[in-house]
Amino acid sequence: MFKRNKLLSILIIFVAILVVIVGGLSASLLLSGESEESVNTGITTSTQAGTDNNLSVGQLRLSGSDPVTLDPHLATDAGSAEYIVEIYSGLVTISPDLELTLDLASSVDISDDGITYTFELRDDIFFHSGRRVTAEDVAWSIKRALSRELQSTVSLAYLGDILGAREYFFGLSEDITGLELIDDKTIQFTLDSPKPFFLAKLTYPCAFVVDGQQIEVNERNWTRKPNGTGPYKLKEWRLSEQITLYAHDRYHLGIPPLKEVVYLLSGGSALTRFENDELDVAFISVNDVERARDVTSDLNPLYSVWPQFTISYFAFNIEKPPFDDVHIRRALGLSIDRKKIAEVTFSDMLAPATGILAPGLPGYTDVDKTLPFNPNRAREELLASKYKVENGQLVTSQGEVVPIVITEVGGGAEARIDTQAFLEQWRTELGVNVEIRQTDFATYLAESDAKQLQMFNGGWIMDYPDPENILDLKFHSQSGLNDLGYQNTAVDELLELARSELNPDQRIALYRDAEKLILEDAAWLPLYFSQNHVVVNADVNGWFEPPMVVPRLRFIEVNR
Amino acid sequence: MGENIAITPESNELISNNEWVLIWRRLRAKKLAMISLVLIIIIYGAGLFAPLVAPYSYTETNLDRGLEGPSRDHWLGTDRLGRDMLSRSIYSARTTLIVTTAVVVSGSLIIGNVLGLLAGYKGGWIDSLIMRIGEVFSSLPGLLMLILINATLGERVINGVRWFEAHTFFSGIVSSGIASYLTVFAALSLFFWVGTARIIRSQVLQLREREFIIAAEALGASPRRIIFVHLLPSVLFLIILQISATLGGIAGSEILLSWFGVGVQPPAASFGAMIFQGSGARTFQAHPHLLLVPGLIVTILLFSFALLGDALNDAISSR
Amino acid sequence: MAGYVIRRLLWLPLILLIVSFFTFCIARFGPGDPVSVAAGQIRDEAILQQIREDRGLDGSIFEQYLRWGQGAIRGDFGESLQQRGFTVSEVIFPRMWVSAQLGFIALILVFGLGILFGLIAAWANGSWIDPLIISVLLFLQAIPILVVIPPLLWLFAVQLNLLPVGGWDGLIDIWWIKGVIAIPIPDPHLYIPLVAFSLPGIAGVARLMRISALEVQNEDYIRTARSKGLSEPDIAIKHVLPNSLLPIVTVFGFALASIIEGAFFVETLLGIPGIGRFVFEAVGSRDYDVILATTVIFSTVFVVMNLIVELIYGFIDPRVRLGDTR
Repeated sequence: MFKRNKLLSILIIFVAILVVIVGGLSASLLLSGESEESVNTGITTSTQAGTDNNLSVGQLRLSGSDPVTLDPHLATDAGSAEYIVEIYSGLVTISPDLELTLDLASSVDISDDGITYTFELRDDIFFHSGRRVTAEDVAWSIKRALSRELQSTVSLAYLGDILGAREYFFGLSEDITGLELIDDKTIQFTLDSPKPFFLAKLTYPCAFVVDGQQIEVNERNWTRKPNGTGPYKLKEWRLSEQITLYAHDRYHLGIPPLKEVVYLLSGGSALTRFENDELDVAFISVNDVERARDVTSDLNPLYSVWPQFTISYFAFNIEKPPFDDVHIRRALGLSIDRKKIAEVTFSDMLAPATGILAPGLPGYTDVDKTLPFNPNRAREELLASKYKVENGQLVTSQGEVVPIVITEVGGGAEARIDTQAFLEQWRTELGVNVEIRQTDFATYLAESDAKQLQMFNGGWIMDYPDPENILDLKFHSQSGLNDLGYQNTAVDELLELARSELNPDQRIALYRDAEKLILEDAAWLPLYFSQNHVVVNADVNGWFEPPMVVPRLRFIEVNR
Repeated sequence: MGENIAITPESNELISNNEWVLIWRRLRAKKLAMISLVLIIIIYGAGLFAPLVAPYSYTETNLDRGLEGPSRDHWLGTDRLGRDMLSRSIYSARTTLIVTTAVVVSGSLIIGNVLGLLAGYKGGWIDSLIMRIGEVFSSLPGLLMLILINATLGERVINGVRWFEAHTFFSGIVSSGIASYLTVFAALSLFFWVGTARIIRSQVLQLREREFIIAAEALGASPRRIIFVHLLPSVLFLIILQISATLGGIAGSEILLSWFGVGVQPPAASFGAMIFQGSGARTFQAHPHLLLVPGLIVTILLFSFALLGDALNDAISSR
Repeated sequence: MAGYVIRRLLWLPLILLIVSFFTFCIARFGPGDPVSVAAGQIRDEAILQQIREDRGLDGSIFEQYLRWGQGAIRGDFGESLQQRGFTVSEVIFPRMWVSAQLGFIALILVFGLGILFGLIAAWANGSWIDPLIISVLLFLQAIPILVVIPPLLWLFAVQLNLLPVGGWDGLIDIWWIKGVIAIPIPDPHLYIPLVAFSLPGIAGVARLMRISALEVQNEDYIRTARSKGLSEPDIAIKHVLPNSLLPIVTVFGFALASIIEGAFFVETLLGIPGIGRFVFEAVGSRDYDVILATTVIFSTVFVVMNLIVELIYGFIDPRVRLGDTR
């Protein structure tokens, strides 16, 4: 029949289309990817040269995500850093106790004026490929990190104290004056001024050593099987599926007892997989923390809490009304009960901030230096300010309405609920209606960089355990990262003195004083210090969650 | 079917008054449809009269009584901040009402249908033009457009409305979110008319070759009459289907937009915001009411729209 | 006919040009840029500005577009910013493939079940079965996807532990019986996404099918066929079905084209490495090259699919001759 043939034809055509689409996609799959490593979903590395070591045992299974990059000179996010600190290493590193310790260097000599740092390298340092590491590799790495072609957004921030680094980065000079290769085991840095935090900055991935020979041969794809000097080598990386790290048997600080670490990159809820014995460590979320805290549950003995060097805060743009008035800033800070809200919205999984410096940082004290929850004082501050409250809004003495808008990054399920709680407190205690405005991340950054935001929700993760990393960078009036328009000459003075103060105790005292002044000025409303809540499989020994990203896998053992 | 309906010889109208009464009677007879209509009216009505109906304010937090299930004080329980779920649902209904208004006003409902009719009937270069433009628009990355339009235009529109509010006696327009919804839907309708247009167009293409159309044209009927009186009725069922789907889908769109931070800002209540609080397998396990309350209400709303649309279609085509 | 097809295909480069240029402009003119997003918390405006210049993000829009275009024509879509060290092609094609697989199976499910239920409902028109089927399907469609997934996950993954909680493992899994016999079954990672995906769609297709079939049933030629004494099933299959499929064809074509777009919510909630979620992240990170590449690919697929659907139309119903003007 005519019509039946038509039906058949329709079906045939559809099948044809499908074949075309499927075929087309497969073809492009095969054709794309110009690297030698072929297949996209499986970028495997052959095990590097070196004996299969029998001293390391065990396999650890963790959950992770695809790193943005495995190039230590480009990485800016914690996710990438987690792998990078295991695969690469630098002259110095941070121990699990947050002590600055030597890594590739066997000694460092600092001149009396604090400007010259001379590093002598160890004898027993090798790349994963087996090649010996020399001072030339170190110099090459530093130069590469600062090179203009690399377009790294961070390297200058961490290596910029070296004399001539800035000029080199901006292409104004061919060489870095302050970087000198003395011999194949010795390298010397000359700084532009005495900077006691220089060593701390060298622990950051920008200063890690990479294999110049590998990069020069394969500039585009070398990060797929990087030849590093760290305790673990990248054995395999299957995009969106799995990353496998394998112990480096010639690691100079001791062969890691743990042989293999597998990161599973997809698969939904970590806790569920943990309970299915698919993962050895899992983060606990707000929904599960009750169960973890319950002493009768089987999660409880495996549960631990680790404070982090991460602070979240409200920031005020001091150049924009009404935040040009310190009384308004204080009023907002005094009328919120952060402790209560942390309890309710986060099940107490965050610690209310007691200052700007997190617990464990040099300069931290137990004393709560932040504005307490005191609604009466808040209202007094409000009265003392040059703004009045009318119909739920602040108005100037001329009657002009000044709305307060908090800008946040909108994100569906992650939209901040604690901010809503704060809003309600400001409404009931002060009678002021604050608004929330959600934008997308890139827009938020653009506006924040342009200093257009009036009030916003911010967070800061310490890059190295030194107060300079937060107090100076965020609050010095000349600092590029000062997104508050904050200017306090007394604070500036303290910070500048601290920059070159060589006596550690006096340095810390200066930073403490600076922190005190900053808090009085209420440029920030520190909200919380983060904590990591994890459950760890009983077979795993020595697991810890350091307060910031530091190498840790070589301190772990798995008894299985 | 086209011949059965609607065109009375004496008039040029699509559906005469007598017909509307008949349709209404048929509709009334369908119990399911009536229930749907009532439900829709209840939900939208609650939204409209929210301040009068809601027992609590939608921002009133009570940190000590968070995450409670249904109780005498709080019929539908409380959310994480101790806000009454019932009140927040009522205000969320209000948000949905606002979104619906924005969608209707922005013309999203009709633009696809109109263009589809035009393309299908006229054919030729008009058809090609409309379809090609459609292809361009439908391939543009809607998400990118949405975010950027909201970030740039949205801001300007909101500031403009804020200025307007400050200088006149109107207030509360910005916080109601209608400004940003209007912007977004007006912009979105630029991209999403294509699907509807295609469906309508294909039906029109099929119909215009039919004998009664050809006859009408041979008799010298004007294109306008042909479109409205002869063509439209046969396509009407599709149009009604599209409109009811769009209206029903509004609640869904609102949820999606909430995800991207578009529309009413917290702490204003919207079903999207409420659903997000409750989504997640473990959250559901611990506090199912967070998801079930808004989820069920939205489901009922969408379901009612769909049933109503179907029933209306049936009533019109006198089945 | 061949001429028509060729003429339509000639539009393709023009459309791609317009679409890509438009997207390019919108992305560039909007707030935010990839350098700023990639910068992390340490941001020095002077450094960022230099990098922007070096990247060519500062030149005139035409220069930038030309540069991109030259690469795109050769198939070089640039490098991804979210996954450094990998080209855009390497990053998007595996994800498109995952989304396509999932979407395709969902499509078959949706249309298969939709057409089936629609026909049954139309055939049962007048009895209680018709409204029942439609009501149930509509109810299932009315549940928003964000509301469907958590209970499913909770029930099957957390509570009963039957299905994995998310992730992706290909389409086929092997089920071993007694460690000896291997039976290929659909991978368990598929079940929840498929359900979430399909539920809304089935109702739409079924309704369309039903109404279309009811329409056709009252046509003259059907009545003629009946009066000629043809049996009902015969009529249904040979006459009603083909003619009522027309609107379905349109919808199917459209749906088929959109499977490579991925499904953002399903992918995000269930941890599936698909293109929907990736494009969202690309937009968020202003990964221009990824956005442009995906836009161009989607556009091509749409245009081609549109053409194919129209051809099928003309084929099925000769009265609808394409390209004819009145």
